[in-house]
Amino acid sequence: MKHFWALLFLLVPIFGVLTFVLAPYYNHSFPRDISENGRVIDQLFYFILYLTGVLFVATEGALFYFMWKYNGRTNREPVKYSHGSHTLEVVWTILPAVTLLFIAIYQMNAWADAKMRKPDIPVTAEITGRQFNWDVRYPGPDGILHTPDDIILVDGEIHFPAGEEILLSIKAADVLHSFFLPNIRMKQDVVPGMQQYMWFKCRESKAEVDIVCAELCGWGHYKMSGRATFEPRSEFNAWLAKKSAEQQAHRITQATP
Amino acid sequence: MNDRYSMRALALVTATAALVGCGKSDPPPFRLNMTNVVAKQIAPEHQQAIANILGAMFGTPDEPIALKETGLDQKKLDMAAGPVWSDKVGAKHGLYRRHCVHCHGISGDGRGPTAAVLNPYPRDYRMGVFKFKSTYTAAEPTNLDLTKTLHEGIPGTAMPSFALLPPDEVAALVEYVKYLSIRGQMERLLEDHASVELNAGDKFDPANDPAVQKLVMQDMLGPIMESWNGAKEQVINPEDASIPPDNRPAKELEASVKAGRELFYGTRANCVKCHGPTALGDGQQDDYDVWNKAINDFFKATDDKIGQIASLKTDLAKAQGDDATQIRQQIVDAQKEFNERHALLSSLLLPRNAIPRNLREGVFRGGRRPIDVFWRISSGIPGTPMPASGPAGEGAQGTLTQKEIWQIVDYVHSLPFEPASLPQKRPINASEVSTGE
Repeated sequence: MKHFWALLFLLVPIFGVLTFVLAPYYNHSFPRDISENGRVIDQLFYFILYLTGVLFVATEGALFYFMWKYNGRTNREPVKYSHGSHTLEVVWTILPAVTLLFIAIYQMNAWADAKMRKPDIPVTAEITGRQFNWDVRYPGPDGILHTPDDIILVDGEIHFPAGEEILLSIKAADVLHSFFLPNIRMKQDVVPGMQQYMWFKCRESKAEVDIVCAELCGWGHYKMSGRATFEPRSEFNAWLAKKSAEQQAHRITQATP
Repeated sequence: MNDRYSMRALALVTATAALVGCGKSDPPPFRLNMTNVVAKQIAPEHQQAIANILGAMFGTPDEPIALKETGLDQKKLDMAAGPVWSDKVGAKHGLYRRHCVHCHGISGDGRGPTAAVLNPYPRDYRMGVFKFKSTYTAAEPTNLDLTKTLHEGIPGTAMPSFALLPPDEVAALVEYVKYLSIRGQMERLLEDHASVELNAGDKFDPANDPAVQKLVMQDMLGPIMESWNGAKEQVINPEDASIPPDNRPAKELEASVKAGRELFYGTRANCVKCHGPTALGDGQQDDYDVWNKAINDFFKATDDKIGQIASLKTDLAKAQGDDATQIRQQIVDAQKEFNERHALLSSLLLPRNAIPRNLREGVFRGGRRPIDVFWRISSGIPGTPMPASGPAGEGAQGTLTQKEIWQIVDYVHSLPFEPASLPQKRPINASEVSTGE
């Protein structure tokens, strides 16, 4: 077939676009967003996707055009040397640079909201990532972390109050980890010895979502997961009280797992 | 560029890429406990006999057998064993290989591929010794103990929590761990028997010898199963009278912590011997737990062999006639054993000392509830140098009373919040610490 390679390369933009178009029908779209500000992240993503998508189709289309037109088996004209075009080089350096600069400035507010404008509220919980588990420490009845009445849980089931702003303190016990809540569109890398903060608000009153590790931390990284449960503040307080009592168990309780 | 050439190249690359991964690999086999086998110099035919007996009793990693005498649940073993796959309704199979094998190994020997980079090493189930349980020191853990370990993981180690697995999968894994442990204990007894009782050429075939059958099933498996099945009766249930009341006033708690501190630094409980006068775990640090001790003994004995061979060779130089022939044979035997040991060394994990817990960190591997810490102090931590301060069995007398143990529990819980445990600007001074400053 004369134009085999041109057509083969044409498959790239076709399948590339088809993947994104068909993804929602195969349930490969974004996880359900239950946060207040996740929408901003998604909007940024789609903006960049469409922008690069258009450019992708345009450049691949141009590639296909040139492969077809200058196909060695059908085109017997002698080669023309163009010696380059200075104007073209300048144009296709400046335009992408300006576009990137635009994207950088466009996203600054979203970044500041997520990473710089820490709310002035008490820490809801301290989350420590260790190989390969998420441990959580709640301040307990006295509201202060690192006091004897803290509630420390190590089984990856972490509860948060829904509908209010939550501030988390994230730490790593041994190697790099990253606390990632896909349904909140928030992740925070942690370096051992550094303490990081993460804040968000869940806009649904009840949800059970995944916690995953987003920084390769060893062989168990793929299964370092937990479950975050969002519930109304009253239920959250009741759950904390239950966990606090369990932590004080002096007796054998058959109810334990 | 020749189009046909590049077409064929493309076709070849695509075909190779498509076919990679086709074809099944052999199912993994159980391995004998080679450290034990080589250390006891068990003859190859006896090794084969032991492997056959274990195969007949327990099956293979893909097809386990829940022997009636063990009382294990065949369905649970089937869920946990075999290759990883999900069936039409989404139920997961091969749970052990999905979650556990890369650390704990296919035979439960704690020597999976990941083990070499972990500190502490994953548990070797084959001794039937488990550290964190609710029973008296010498007893086996209950199902609840093993389930708790899976549910909470072991903080401070690489053992993660499996609380997010459905309860039936956790139960299947607990059953499989017991299966591997029973199989390992059985293997150990068979190897002891082969090394002590059997001579070269002796047959060891329970299938065709009723006397050996009885020996294996009643005298070996019997006591193992008695221990496992009796674990429920061996649970340490603290007396209500000794348990401190809930929501104690602060003064009462303080008094209990003070009493616990005196016991901790005193001579009866003798906690400071290992945990150190600083409670940082810097007391005795040169002891071993049973798993590392076995490896360490193996290393040491291998080293000793070199000396043994050298001294035999000096003897040979002085010996005459029959003595010389005998010594030559001894050298040959010793050299053979040394070669076998040496070949095994590179596959072993380097032995590590049992470092006592730094109690000021507030990391409790076996659980942080008061009852968990009570169990650790009362029955000690089996397999490690942590001794039992409570009674060794029902009705026995321990070093400390239950009330005293609860006081030490209170003190241990308060340790991470002592001023000396908070970030310091200078090194901890032992005299400062023991007065509680």
